[in-house]
Amino acid sequence: MRLHDDEQEAEFRASLRVWLREHLPPVPEVGARRWTPAELRGWNRTLWTGGYAGMSWPVSYGGCGAPPAVQEIFVAESARAGAPDHANLIGLNMVGPTVIRHGTAVQRDTYLPGILRGDTLFCQGFSEPEAGSDLAAIRTRAVPAPDGGYRITGEKIWSSYADTADACLLLARTDGPPGRHDGLTCFLVDMSTPGVTVQPLRQMSGDADFSRITLTDVAVPESAVVGPAGSGWRVAMTTLAHERGTLAVTLVARLAVQFDRLRRTVVAAGADRDRSVRDQLATLHVEVEALRCTAHRAVATAQGGDPAPEATVLKLRWSEVDQRVCALGFDVATPRSPWRAYWERERLRSRTSTIEGGTSEILRGIVAERVLGLPRSR
Amino acid sequence: MDLTLTRDQLDLREAARRFLGAVCPPATVAELADRREWASGTWPELIRQGWADPDLSAVELALLAGELGYALLPVPWWTTVGLALPVYQAAGEPLPGPATLVDRPDGSDTPLLAARRGAAGWRIDGVASAVDAGPAAEFVVAASTDGEVGLFAVPAGPVHVPTEGIDPLRVLGSLTFDSVPARLLVGPPNAAGLLARVRDRAAMLLAAEAVGVAERALGFAVEHAKLRAQFGRPIGSYQAVSHLLAECYAEVELARSLVWRAAAAHDGPAGGPADATASAVLAGRRAAVQSCEAAVQVCGGMGVTWDFPVHRWYRRALWLDGSTETLAAIADVVFAVGESGGPPGRVVREVRRELS
Repeated sequence: MRLHDDEQEAEFRASLRVWLREHLPPVPEVGARRWTPAELRGWNRTLWTGGYAGMSWPVSYGGCGAPPAVQEIFVAESARAGAPDHANLIGLNMVGPTVIRHGTAVQRDTYLPGILRGDTLFCQGFSEPEAGSDLAAIRTRAVPAPDGGYRITGEKIWSSYADTADACLLLARTDGPPGRHDGLTCFLVDMSTPGVTVQPLRQMSGDADFSRITLTDVAVPESAVVGPAGSGWRVAMTTLAHERGTLAVTLVARLAVQFDRLRRTVVAAGADRDRSVRDQLATLHVEVEALRCTAHRAVATAQGGDPAPEATVLKLRWSEVDQRVCALGFDVATPRSPWRAYWERERLRSRTSTIEGGTSEILRGIVAERVLGLPRSR
Repeated sequence: MDLTLTRDQLDLREAARRFLGAVCPPATVAELADRREWASGTWPELIRQGWADPDLSAVELALLAGELGYALLPVPWWTTVGLALPVYQAAGEPLPGPATLVDRPDGSDTPLLAARRGAAGWRIDGVASAVDAGPAAEFVVAASTDGEVGLFAVPAGPVHVPTEGIDPLRVLGSLTFDSVPARLLVGPPNAAGLLARVRDRAAMLLAAEAVGVAERALGFAVEHAKLRAQFGRPIGSYQAVSHLLAECYAEVELARSLVWRAAAAHDGPAGGPADATASAVLAGRRAAVQSCEAAVQVCGGMGVTWDFPVHRWYRRALWLDGSTETLAAIADVVFAVGESGGPPGRVVREVRRELS
């Protein structure tokens, strides 16, 4: 065990810092920069050109095959330098690993290079109005078409970045009644296919990060099926494991930067001499550091495989700490503070954290059943 | 950064768990605690197995401390290996047997005890409080000499007056030194720096022990929740119970990460994170108290009885639990960001003060 960088890590960090400084605008004094969709795509391309796309992906699929410590340096330094974090988040962290694990050779060749280059932005079509936590209850149906392939009809909701996405990893029922784990199938759907419409949903923060996707008799080829037809549950679970494990490493790195914004807000407000505020900040600092180290352990344990159920605690606790950081920022930033607008938005935004990617209630259930071995609770 | 255990370290932990599980089931813990005895029969075997090996890294010591917290075997390992051994090592002396450190409990740099050199050698005077003397054969004493810190060895002899504490397996007491003959182990100027490192490492080991306590309490609760049926179902199938235990699991694993971070900081070069030990201590204690209290709740009426084992671990958790001084020390580090990183000595002092 060691905390310091070894020679290779130190070298990587130093050159990455220089590269980030050369390619990113300066970090704003107050708040965080907001990126347009065009700028996000541009940043994807910049990352790929610089050789930093797909840090965790195996080299054989065009990734960097970076060891856990280097992956962590990448996300930490990127977050610190103010790199946009939404750039193809889903493609790189969730869909890519799923296609590597369950996809065909053709699917890998078709999608992986595009994800890495930033040409193919992905969204995910899992949740539905009647199927949130109970994912197997989805009603979107994929029916075999007489001329081959499938016709998909249904409605997907809470799909992040669907309004800018080029493709969607979509879960649909190909067989059996709603509620069963078998009879589900995962598809890679081109978002420009006729019959796909996207309607952004405005969240309470005012942002519109996610959307409703309506599919009306959408034709998809047989080659769009990921994993064998009927094994969609297993494929979706791989994606979700990466959402709660792999993605959590990025989320935790961003949280460390968010914590630093909180510290600066406290200092700017002169609240750094308030004993209660100091205690709360110390408590949050301990939790952020614990998450950082636990994320590192999770990545190192997974070693290129899928994250273990143990990694679920990362997403569970990240979301809670995220909300507490934002709540304290909001409380400390007085109406006259330059930070006020930032924390108003973040306070509202952060309520999403304990819901997206598996509600805290679902995640506690996963830990209870799959890690502690307690009997099923439903 | 690398926070993974090596194969050897995994084996070490596994072997420790198996050995302690065999020699120290909960019934033995209860018996020894009620009789105020220590596991004197097991101590030589621990020494034979290398538990006091001076070559053990901080990470390996943390693993052993965790297993001792898990098993709650009453042996003076923390005082001997955590507190006294590094001083004997620095002096080039072998361990004389079980030992402890007599130090100022508030962690101040000025020792309470005084050492003076007479014609017949060194003598120690003064009263020390909050000493975990246990069955120590020898005390390592921090005493001031001409305004500087020295570390001395005193054969057990000064009367130890134990104070009734919450944990009968870890009793603190006061010691009176009245011109007691001593031999110098490490003198000024090296003793002060050594003492600071020893205090910090020992605090880290208590954090590791706390995580072991938390893990064991969670284990009791999970076991009970699987077996105990009410309304025709195991109570662990109710979310009110299972979600509470899932939260405890998260707490334990996050605290474990911080203990490893603190241990790795000890094994690494100087200049590691200034909050490493304090953060581990804070998280370890919280995990221990939270898991023990959750275990008592989940075990219900049985959980609050004397015969049910959980209170033995809960007592240790509460012994470890402290004031909010640690938080203040961590806040100092947080706000020192951008400056020189803050003085690590301060953090250690705050942690140590809570032990008094």
